[in-house]
Amino acid sequence: MIGPGGRLDILEGVDLDVGDGESIAIVGASGSGKTTLLGLLAGLDVPSAGSVELDGHALEALDEEGRADLRRRLVGFVFQSFHLLPALTAEENVMLPLELDGADDARERARAALASVGLDARRGHYPYQLSGGEQQRVALARAFVHRPRVLFADEPTGNLDQRTGRAVGDLLFELNHAHGTTLVLVTHDLKLAERCGRVIELEGGRLKAAA
Amino acid sequence: MNTLRLALRTLRREWRLPELRTLALALVLAVAALGAVATLAARVERALLDSAAELIGGDLGVSARAPLPAELAAQARTLGLEVGAAASFPSVAFAGDRSQLLDVQAVDDAYPLRGTLQLGGADGRGYAGHGIAAGSVALDHRALVALGLRVGERVQLGGRDLAIAAELVRQPDGGELFALAPRVLMNLGDAEAAGLLGVGSRARHRLMLAGAPAALAAFQRYAEPRLPAGGEILTPAKTQERLSAAFDRGEAFLRLAALLAALLAGVAIALAAQRYARRKTDEVALLRALGAPRRQVLATLALILTLIALPAAALGGALALGLAEGVFALAHGLFPQTQAALPLAPVLAAAGAGLAVLAGFAFPPLARLAEVPPVAVFRRTQDRRVRRFDVLYLVPLLVAVLLIAAESGSLRVAGILAGSLGGVALAAGTLAALLLALARRLAPGAHPALRLGLSSLARRRGLTLVQATAIALGLTALLLLAVVAPALLDGWRRELPADTPNWFVLNLQDDQREALGAELAHVGADQLNMLPLAVGKLAAINGRAPRAEDFADPRAKEWLDNQLRLSWSAALPQANHVAAGRWFAPQPTEAEVSVDRGWAQTFGLKLGDTLTFAVGDRALTARITSLRGVDWSSFRVNFFLLLDPAHAAELPHTWIASFHLDKGRGDALAAVARAHPNLTLIDVNALLDRIRDIIGRVTGAVRWVLGFSLLAGALVLAAALSASARERRHEAALLRTLGARGRQLTAAVAAEFAALGLIAGLTAAGGAAGAGLWFAARVLKLDGFVPPLAPLIGAALAAAVAVTLLGLAGTRRVLRTPPLAVLRRG
Repeated sequence: MIGPGGRLDILEGVDLDVGDGESIAIVGASGSGKTTLLGLLAGLDVPSAGSVELDGHALEALDEEGRADLRRRLVGFVFQSFHLLPALTAEENVMLPLELDGADDARERARAALASVGLDARRGHYPYQLSGGEQQRVALARAFVHRPRVLFADEPTGNLDQRTGRAVGDLLFELNHAHGTTLVLVTHDLKLAERCGRVIELEGGRLKAAA
Repeated sequence: MNTLRLALRTLRREWRLPELRTLALALVLAVAALGAVATLAARVERALLDSAAELIGGDLGVSARAPLPAELAAQARTLGLEVGAAASFPSVAFAGDRSQLLDVQAVDDAYPLRGTLQLGGADGRGYAGHGIAAGSVALDHRALVALGLRVGERVQLGGRDLAIAAELVRQPDGGELFALAPRVLMNLGDAEAAGLLGVGSRARHRLMLAGAPAALAAFQRYAEPRLPAGGEILTPAKTQERLSAAFDRGEAFLRLAALLAALLAGVAIALAAQRYARRKTDEVALLRALGAPRRQVLATLALILTLIALPAAALGGALALGLAEGVFALAHGLFPQTQAALPLAPVLAAAGAGLAVLAGFAFPPLARLAEVPPVAVFRRTQDRRVRRFDVLYLVPLLVAVLLIAAESGSLRVAGILAGSLGGVALAAGTLAALLLALARRLAPGAHPALRLGLSSLARRRGLTLVQATAIALGLTALLLLAVVAPALLDGWRRELPADTPNWFVLNLQDDQREALGAELAHVGADQLNMLPLAVGKLAAINGRAPRAEDFADPRAKEWLDNQLRLSWSAALPQANHVAAGRWFAPQPTEAEVSVDRGWAQTFGLKLGDTLTFAVGDRALTARITSLRGVDWSSFRVNFFLLLDPAHAAELPHTWIASFHLDKGRGDALAAVARAHPNLTLIDVNALLDRIRDIIGRVTGAVRWVLGFSLLAGALVLAAALSASARERRHEAALLRTLGARGRQLTAAVAAEFAALGLIAGLTAAGGAAGAGLWFAARVLKLDGFVPPLAPLIGAALAAAVAVTLLGLAGTRRVLRTPPLAVLRRG
C-alpha cells in the first residue's frame, strides 16, 4: 500500500496452505494484517505481489468479475459488523446469495437456514429490530444457506458480549461440522481460536508461528 | 466562543465530505442562477424601457397644445438636463400640381436627445442625423411618393420653399406608434418664422429632456403643477402602457423563468441538506452521548451552516455578476450596450433568497438531528425516521415560493407554479409509493436482476420517495423552460402572424367600398376586412338619460362626453367570445346589442337592460342580449358595442377597414390615397414592430435563462442521485462480496433507475403540460394553447434514459473496486 507516509507492506512473506475441510484461526494484535489476509484469501482484494489460490484458481489472474463468480459458488462470509442490508428483512437477507445464483427455491431454503439458527419466528424482522446476537445469527444463516466450500469469518464474535459470543461461536462450529465446510476464522478470542484445527499468528504482517 | 471553535474545527474536518461540498455548491449555483436570471430580467426590462425612451426621443417630455412656458426649459437647464424643443402639426405640402397632407415634426438642433434620427441621402445611403438645417426638410418615403419628389428637389410647406435635404427613414417621435399621415421633419425656426406655431395653429408643443434620473425626477416634480391646460408629461413608461399586454406577458415569462431557476436550486439545496443530515446522525448521537447539551448541538450545526452559507452566497453573487456581464457581452442586441454599472439589487436579492431557501430547507432536517437520542450511538434507529423529515419539506417549499413571489411581485405566477409543482410532487410520490407496493408483490416472481433493482428501491423506501419527487420536480422545471416556454412564446408570436393587418382605413363611404377593395387587391394587399361604423351618443339606459354622477367609475363620464363608436355584425367577430347571454338571433323582433364585459361593468349594465343610441337624427333602442369578452391586444378592429345588423343597418354610417400590405410596398398606397382624398390611412407597422421586438427580446432572455436552469437541473439530478450513493456503494460491495455478477448489479441498478426515471419523467411531462395550460390561460391569456405533448413525452423518456445512465455511471466504480475497501469504510 502506498500511503502519505510512503510505502507500507501490510503482509510480507506469508506462505499459508489451508486444506479441504480444515479449520484454521488467524490471530494477532490489531493492525497485524489479519483482516487483510482474510480479504486476500477470500478474493475480496488482490495482493500487490505474490499469489493466492482458491480451490485451485489463481485469484490474481482473475478479474473482479471472475473473483465474484468464484465467491458466489464457493465462499460464505461472516463479518464482525454483521453487514446485513438494513432495509431487507432477516429472511430476505438470507435469500440474497441464493437469488444471486438464480435459485428458484430461495425462500424455502432461507426459511430452513433461519430455522437452523433458531430465528424462524423473526424472519420478517428488519436488522434494526434484532439484537446484535440475532443479527449475527442471521449472518450465519446467510453464510451457510448456499452450502459454500469455504467459510471466511472475520471476528464473528467481536461485537457481541461474552455469552452471546459463545453461543454464536457454538453455532458457527456446529454448522461448520454439519456442512463439512473449510473454515478460515480471524479472531482476537483465543478460546474461539482454539476450537479450530490450526492456529496461526500474525505479527507485523508476518506469520509468527503455527500451533 | 467554545461553540464557534467547535464549529470551525468540525467544518475544517467535514469539508472533505461530499455532502457538505454538494450543499455549498448547490447554494453557490442557486445564488448564481437566480442572481444571473434576475439581473438578466432587470436588464431586459430596462432595455425595453430604454428603447421606449428612444421612441419618444428623450428620457422625459412635456407636451401641450399651447407653447410651453419658458421657465420649464430654464429650470431643466438649471438641473443640468439636456433640453430640446419640438412641435408637431398637420400641414399641406405642395409640389407642382400635387398636394398632400403631412404630419409635420418641427425640431431644433438638439433633436433627438435619445435614439437616432435615420436619414437617407440622394444616393440612397443611410446616415444618422441631428436636427435639420434651416431652409431644408426631410420627407418620409410615403410623402416623397405621394408628392412625386426626390431628395434634392424642393417642396412648398407653410408658404415657404424648402430644399429636401434627405429622406426621413426613422425618427423618435414622441411615442406615437401610429402614423396617420406621411411625415416631414423641418427646422423649428423655419416653422416659427412661417407662423405655423402661432395662436390658432393645431400644433402640439414638446419639450424633450435627457439626463440623470434624480434630476429628471426633480424636474417632473417641478413641472407637474406648472403644466398649461391640457399639458401632459411624457415618460417611457407611459408610452409602454399602450403595449401593456405585451409587457405583462414578457414580465410573466421572465418571472416564471427566474422562479423555476430558484426552485431547481432550492430542490438541490434541500437534497444536499438532507444527505448531510443523514451523514451527521452518528456524530450528533455521539456528541449527545458525550454530554453535549441540545442547545450546543443546535448552535454548532447552525454555525457550521452559516460559515458555509455566507461565503457560498458571496461566491454565487460574484458568479452571477460575472455570468450576467458575460451574457451581455455575448447577446448583442438583446440588451442595451450602455455604460451603466450592473444592477446590484437583483444579485443581493438572489443571495438573500438563496440563504432563505437554505435556511428553509436545511434547518428542519438538521434541527431534527438535535432530537437524536444519545442511545442512537448503540443502535441506529435514524433510518426509520427519515420519512418523517420529508413532510417538513412542504413547509420550506411554500416559504420559498412565497418569498420569491414577494420578490418578483407576482403571486399569480408563483401560485400557479406552486400548485403545479405541488401536484407533481404528490403525483410522483403517489406513483412511487404504488410502484414500491407493486414491487413487493411482483418481486418474488420477477427476474432476479429486476427483483434486485425493485427491492433495492423498496429497501430505501423513504429515500426513493424523496428521490422520485425531487427528480420529478427538477424535470418539471426543466420541461417547463425547455419545451413549454418556447411553445408559449410561439403561441404568442402566432397571435401576430406575418399577415397581421398593419393598415387601417377610416371614413370609408358605402360607394367607395368596391373600388377600394379592387385597388387594394391590385397593390397586393390581403386580409381585407370592412366593418360598418356609426358614431353617436348614449341617450338612455333603460329609458332614462344617464348622468355621469350616477356612476362611480370616472371612465363613465368620458364615455358620456365623447362620441360612441357603434358597429354591427351577423357573426361573432374573431378575438371575441360571448361571456354571458347569447349571440344575435338571425332576425330578432326587437333591436339587440352585445356589450363588452368591462364597458357593461362601468355602467352597471346587465343582460336584458336597454340602451338608446342617438346617431345623427336617428335613435335606436336595443336590448342587451349578450356580454362579450374582447381581446383588445389582438390587432383586429374591435368595438365595445355591437348591434344586430337587421336593425342597425339603417343608421347613418361609414366603414372602417383593415388590411395587410407587405412593409416594403407602402408607397403603392399613395395612388390609393390620391384617388380617395377623404380616406384616412393609418400605418400601425411601428406598433407591430415594437411588440415583435418585445417578443424577440423575451424569447432571447428565456433562452439564456434556460442555460442556467439546465445547470441547476443537472445539479438537482446529481444531488438526487448521490443522495443514496453511499448506501448504494456499500450495498453493491456487499452483494459483490456475496458473489453478485457485474451484469446482475448493472441490470439491478438499471431497473431501479429506469423505474425512478420513468416515474419522474412521466409525472414531470404531465405537470409541465398542466402548468403550461394553466399559465397560458390565467397569466398570458393565450387562447387555444395546446401543450406540445409529443416533445414533452419524448423529453421525459430521454430524461428517464439520462437518469438510468447517470445511475449506471455511478455504479461502474463499484464494479471495479475490490469490495474489501468499501466494506472497511463502513
